[in-house]
Amino acid sequence: MNKQRKYRPLTIGDVLINGFMVLVVLICFVPFLYMLALSLSSPDAIINNKVSLFPVGLNFEAYKQIFTYPNFFKAYGNTIFYTIGGTLISLFMSALFAYAMSKQFLKGHKLVMMLIVFSMFFSGGLIPTYLLISDLHLTGTVWAMLIPFAINQFNLIILINFFRAIPAEIEEAAIIDGLNYFGILQRVILPLSTPALATIGLYTAVFFWNDWFNGLIYLNTNQYPVMLFLRNIVNGTAMVGDGAGAADKSTIAMSIKSAVIITSTLPIIILYPMLQRFFVAGLTVGSVKG
Amino acid sequence: MSKKKIVSLALASIMAMSSLAACSSKNNNGESASPSPSAGSSSQASTTPNKAEDKLKFSIFYSDNATLPFKEDWLVVQEVEKRFNVDIHFEVIPIADYQTKVSLALNTGNNAPDVILYQSTKGENASLALNGAIVPISDYSDWTPNFNAKVKEFGLENDLAALNLKDGKRYYLPSLYDKPFYDGGLILRKDLLEKYGQQEPKTFDDLYNVLKKFKAENPDSYPLTILAGPRVLYRMTMPSFGISVGKNGADGSRTLSWDYEKQTYFPGAISDQYKEYMKFFSKLYAEGLLDPEMADPIDGDKWSTKLATGKSFASYAYYDQIGGVEGAATEAGFDLQMYPPLAGPAGAHHQQKSRTGSGIMFPKKTADRKDFEQLVKKIDEIFFSDEGSKIWGLGAEGVTYTMDGDKIKYADEIVNSPNGIYKTMQLNYGAGSDVTQLVWVNAREMTKYDENYSQINATVASMKDPIQAIPPTPMFDDMTAEEAASLQTPLYDTFEVWADGFLTGKKSLDKDWDKYVKEMKTLQIEKFTQMYNDNLKK
Repeated sequence: MNKQRKYRPLTIGDVLINGFMVLVVLICFVPFLYMLALSLSSPDAIINNKVSLFPVGLNFEAYKQIFTYPNFFKAYGNTIFYTIGGTLISLFMSALFAYAMSKQFLKGHKLVMMLIVFSMFFSGGLIPTYLLISDLHLTGTVWAMLIPFAINQFNLIILINFFRAIPAEIEEAAIIDGLNYFGILQRVILPLSTPALATIGLYTAVFFWNDWFNGLIYLNTNQYPVMLFLRNIVNGTAMVGDGAGAADKSTIAMSIKSAVIITSTLPIIILYPMLQRFFVAGLTVGSVKG
Repeated sequence: MSKKKIVSLALASIMAMSSLAACSSKNNNGESASPSPSAGSSSQASTTPNKAEDKLKFSIFYSDNATLPFKEDWLVVQEVEKRFNVDIHFEVIPIADYQTKVSLALNTGNNAPDVILYQSTKGENASLALNGAIVPISDYSDWTPNFNAKVKEFGLENDLAALNLKDGKRYYLPSLYDKPFYDGGLILRKDLLEKYGQQEPKTFDDLYNVLKKFKAENPDSYPLTILAGPRVLYRMTMPSFGISVGKNGADGSRTLSWDYEKQTYFPGAISDQYKEYMKFFSKLYAEGLLDPEMADPIDGDKWSTKLATGKSFASYAYYDQIGGVEGAATEAGFDLQMYPPLAGPAGAHHQQKSRTGSGIMFPKKTADRKDFEQLVKKIDEIFFSDEGSKIWGLGAEGVTYTMDGDKIKYADEIVNSPNGIYKTMQLNYGAGSDVTQLVWVNAREMTKYDENYSQINATVASMKDPIQAIPPTPMFDDMTAEEAASLQTPLYDTFEVWADGFLTGKKSLDKDWDKYVKEMKTLQIEKFTQMYNDNLKK
């Protein structure tokens, strides 16, 4: 069967589907290529509208310049720290919470579920949340970035449902073999849940990587994440043109904007293919036969 | 039933928990107030106030612009800290989010710095001030002698009085300008003007003829383009027609204008002056002289591209931007020049400007510092004394400049820098940042620019009242402000829709004008005007 498939001649359908997929790839890829080209081109070429997909007047000035911005590397390091730290904390807390919540025989689990869903739809609002974080003495510490976002209700629900789908018989077998619940979670459930963990881990990592607002309101200058820096460069001058017009006066070269976008988004994009290998379904197939 | 019980139980427990949390947070607050860094430093300062080596420490919010990224080791910062014996902790916040951060700090009172730069009491700050979140600095005018002296020297007493809020108090120390700057306006291709044998435009009719000529020579082009959006064009040209409406209208009402003779507001959006204005620009639009892309914002990059590649030849923009375009243009002889304001039916005026700008604000918490008096006096000295303001504007004497009699001579490396004096001073030394420089002397600033710019400014200064003052802001209380806002929004929305229609010819100024006026009247533009006039300061 396999052999036949391999040598099956191309049909019109294949061509269409592949052609369509190539188009989708292009749609995703071309903006990046364009950004990359802009970031490597000379400002003159950009203003004269000569740059398309390949750099014109190749130079690395834009990168040189953003690397001389005070705090750029510091901010970069901060973001990496928040992303890794935040994701690990979040996965740990969510797994603990979700495992307990996946046991439907626990008393009050419905009430807790309701609280989770309630807080997913209604939040405290900016100022009450700020006061809370501030009264917990978290402002100005990195914990303000990590703790309040340790559990995301949406991800939690995904994880709960994934845990529930794991056959109870596997756990029973583990109990018979002498494992306690923590042992089961650690040695049986988590290894079986890599697709779910990878999924919510990716969500969380992207959240922490992209988050600038919480950094802005809770942290001090030297703790700011790189996204705040990016936002300031790309958007800063466009945002405040309302009043006196001082902001309309100054513009930042397109090449620098592009360079900042490239440097600050590339790492998280690279993460996607690397996580691909965890997305394997069907590990439990056949585990409870007989 | 049981489900209902669970729900009510849950709600009750949530409420109980939240009220408990509130209690504990209050307690925490009370406790945490004492060991906060500011209090610590204040007690330290107050116990030994006279020791010379004791530095005054304070924290400050600084609005950071990406075009001029703040550096702690800037010469001006070092110099000020050294000369005034202070230790300033700069909290550098990106400008796009500055207001959010300030608003949070003032609203909650938590984590507020000792001093906030680049603020005024417009908008939200006004009600924060009236509710006691900000120190009414006008009550402490004895402590700000340098500021008072500069106000007197520049003759800004009335301008300053206009900044008082409803309770008659002023809540910040604004930046002070001796003369408003002519920093932007009509920008034209001078080389083409000469090539086509055209005169320098003096009136809007001249401008029409020049644009017409450009179009005739280059049929594919749209001679007049716009930077950012119509608002920049509107605010720079409308005053010559006797109005100022739209998003950046001088008074902020968006549909009203100020009558400088009668000293009252009138409904500018439905006035004959506005009709005349629209007639002129819709004519430009209809004949292809005005860039049709102006409806969607044209950002700085696109704008430069249009001018550099000869898609457009004229624009309303700022002088600072000419250099970038000229540097990038490949055409031989490319020469952009800025011109004085054109004369319209109401004379030649540029956009209205205030002679005060955003400045220094003290959150309420700062007044609890034991050394508050010392701090205010120090701030006054740092930013408004001759010595202090010179550092922020020019850097350190002997390093960035030397005095040759009355003349300022900049260091060679600054003069020879390809960025120009003004930019180099800013980027390398931090001098001339509008966040920290609060005293602006026009003649002194002009030394940082090329001959051309000072000449244009001199020409404009010799004109009759080229830059009018910003109209007075009415003193609304909270209720009236709310009502005014609820009238303003629908009026402005309607105005925008019709303005676009008139400009692009979708609506006819002859046939549809009455309908438009009627619609605006239904939306109570007259009552809105009345509210503004009734609440003017007597």
